[in-house]
Amino acid sequence: MTEHLPILQVIIPLLGAPLCLIIRQERLVGVFALLVSTLTFLISCGQLQQVVQNGVQVYELGGWAAPWGIEYRIDYLNSYLLLIVSAMGAIVLVAAQTSIARELARNRRMLFYTAYLLCLTGLIGILSTGDAFNIFVFLEISSLSSYTLIALGSDRRALTASYQYLIMGTIGATFIIIGVGLMYMTTGTLNMYDLAARLPEVHHSRTVLSAIGFFIVGVCLKLALFPLHLWLPNAYAFAPSAATAFLAATSTKVAVYVLIRFVFSVVGAEFMVTVLPLQEIFIVLGVTGVFATSISAIYQLNIKRLFAYSSVAQIGYMIIGMAIGTPLGLSATLLHLFNHALMKAALFLAIGGVVYRIGSAQLSHFAGLGRQMPWTMAAIVAGGLSLIGVPLTVGFVSKWYLVLALLDKGWWPLTVLVLISSLLAVIYVWRIVEWVYFSQPRIIIDEVKDAPLSQLVPIWILVIANVYFGIDTSLTVGISQKAAALLFSVGGTF
Amino acid sequence: MRLLGFITVVLLGGLLFHLSLDFPDLGDASSPAATHVSPYYIEHTMEDTSVPNIVTAVLADYRGYDTLFETAVIFSAGLACFFLMRISERTAPKARFYRHLPTGLTLRIEKGGKIPEDTREFERIDSVWVPYDVIITMTCRLVVPFIQLFALYVIAHGHHSPGGGFQGGVIFGAAIILYAISNNLRRTLRRMSERMSALFGSVGVIIYGGTGMLCLLLGAGFLDYRGMASLLGVDPVSARSYSILIVETGVGLAVTAVMVWIYYNLSSAGKQDEGL
Repeated sequence: MTEHLPILQVIIPLLGAPLCLIIRQERLVGVFALLVSTLTFLISCGQLQQVVQNGVQVYELGGWAAPWGIEYRIDYLNSYLLLIVSAMGAIVLVAAQTSIARELARNRRMLFYTAYLLCLTGLIGILSTGDAFNIFVFLEISSLSSYTLIALGSDRRALTASYQYLIMGTIGATFIIIGVGLMYMTTGTLNMYDLAARLPEVHHSRTVLSAIGFFIVGVCLKLALFPLHLWLPNAYAFAPSAATAFLAATSTKVAVYVLIRFVFSVVGAEFMVTVLPLQEIFIVLGVTGVFATSISAIYQLNIKRLFAYSSVAQIGYMIIGMAIGTPLGLSATLLHLFNHALMKAALFLAIGGVVYRIGSAQLSHFAGLGRQMPWTMAAIVAGGLSLIGVPLTVGFVSKWYLVLALLDKGWWPLTVLVLISSLLAVIYVWRIVEWVYFSQPRIIIDEVKDAPLSQLVPIWILVIANVYFGIDTSLTVGISQKAAALLFSVGGTF
Repeated sequence: MRLLGFITVVLLGGLLFHLSLDFPDLGDASSPAATHVSPYYIEHTMEDTSVPNIVTAVLADYRGYDTLFETAVIFSAGLACFFLMRISERTAPKARFYRHLPTGLTLRIEKGGKIPEDTREFERIDSVWVPYDVIITMTCRLVVPFIQLFALYVIAHGHHSPGGGFQGGVIFGAAIILYAISNNLRRTLRRMSERMSALFGSVGVIIYGGTGMLCLLLGAGFLDYRGMASLLGVDPVSARSYSILIVETGVGLAVTAVMVWIYYNLSSAGKQDEGL
């Protein structure tokens, strides 16, 4: 059965989604969806173990060999990201059970789980596949369902946020499909590893150059790279809490994966440096993005928007790490993918807990909540510390490796800029601490207490993971360095 | 700013035009797309799958996995439409209109008024759209069964001629929508309820995915239709051909149901009470 793990991971949530619609009983659907996502998580654990033991797992779909059929190729990079996404998918769903019951109308709850599982399917599919067109198909599923999830927010502005994302996301997806189409035109193949072998012959044709341009811009729209990030803050701010936590922890990470896979495995790392000025573009956009969005975050009045801007800033760090163009830099990016998922899931779930109790995510409504919701607020502070990069948290580990990679390359000014930008994170996290612990509550409501246990448990599991992986880095650093080394080895991953 | 945007668009458009000069000629037999994977499909489809229509074989077998998820995309689209548009509050409309069939009189019943019960004598009509035209209703009633039959033919005949689940499903869905337009939404909803269309959409996806899982459980890989050979009692090559029909049926079902589902929500602005 172990050889079927790659496909089961995608098919179980896919079949789970329509089954949710058939089951219909609200309670049952929640439990069923949780079961499905937990199973998905267990499969991804098993798969990571398989990859560590036996190397790359190849799965030919329909029994057709690669360039003719579609194949799955699971290596270190995929299985590592699959672990992140499926873990977040399961843990957010634990907290979602209560928060969805509060935030959504009765007849929509069951459908929330359907859309959630479809989104999970799409993200996992993107991570597993070795076929460029298949990526697009999965992207469509995950995007359509995330537009739906965002539009479900109780605030009417959720609809415009979702619409904005729909337009931007569709442009991104169109660019990606144009890129894939142009590559097919010049190489006659859709398989990524076949593409990698056949692209060098036609590297300098105008078609390939524009194909790469279209693809990269499309993916950058999806991953909300700095000037293309405008859809993200509203989408995160107005979506239901559980949806925000899930999307913030997974969807942009998956887009970063697509970019990494495409740049390193398909077109090759040296192409990025020699033919196109991608390195310079990424570094400049990354650094400007980190500063611009961190400063925007400082001025936000809504705490969900604040952390949404901070998410864009974190993506900037990931892009900088990738653009350094060394295995060390790439492994810093991969580390940050994992670590940022932990932080943002913890933070957004904790905010979800607050919204559950006070029904608002305005910063001013957080005044004095430190006394009334000690555990929830402690989780937000812990997540914030991790975001800044305080030692003993995961944030420190990823910043440390990013700085190491920059120093290794001898890029002093950039190192200084990265460190200064961390100070901006101190400011926006401090603003929250100030409201939460050092201001008087405007209205004292007695019944405000900590988030329910069903939310506190997943929140604190994530907080503890934030600390644990900040101290014991053997798993994360080990895998991300191996994955980075493989991506840099001759002939892409293999 | 607007001028800047305009100039950028024109420049990039020009660049794209310049780029398109680099493309291989249309239908060029020596272009990469025509020489790398395509020859295999052209030469081997018949012996691999016993399906004469290469497009169908590529769609539902060689790249059948993509098609499974295309079906899931359609299902998510139906779900998204439902999510965004459906209004569940049962607020009665300001006024309802009824036609007294024996006399042809139209009654307007204000909110709170007594609503006639006997549906044989009274028929509810839409307030904004009164499709009371014997010719249209009768013509559509005659045509709809034939359209549906043709849709089934298109689904089943995808092996030999252009067609398949997507096309057939769209035709079948269109037939139901035609019925809804020529009669009214409520009558159509009685024939095919909203719950039914949601259910059929799910079942369609499950048929496709389930076939894949069945292959896996029978010892082959996922969607490797050869696994179905023992179940269907045919040789592995014919098993591929038969299984394509099974998954195409699933696709047809999902497409039909989702088309109708989306129509219900769009035409009635989510109320599913009155509409085109």
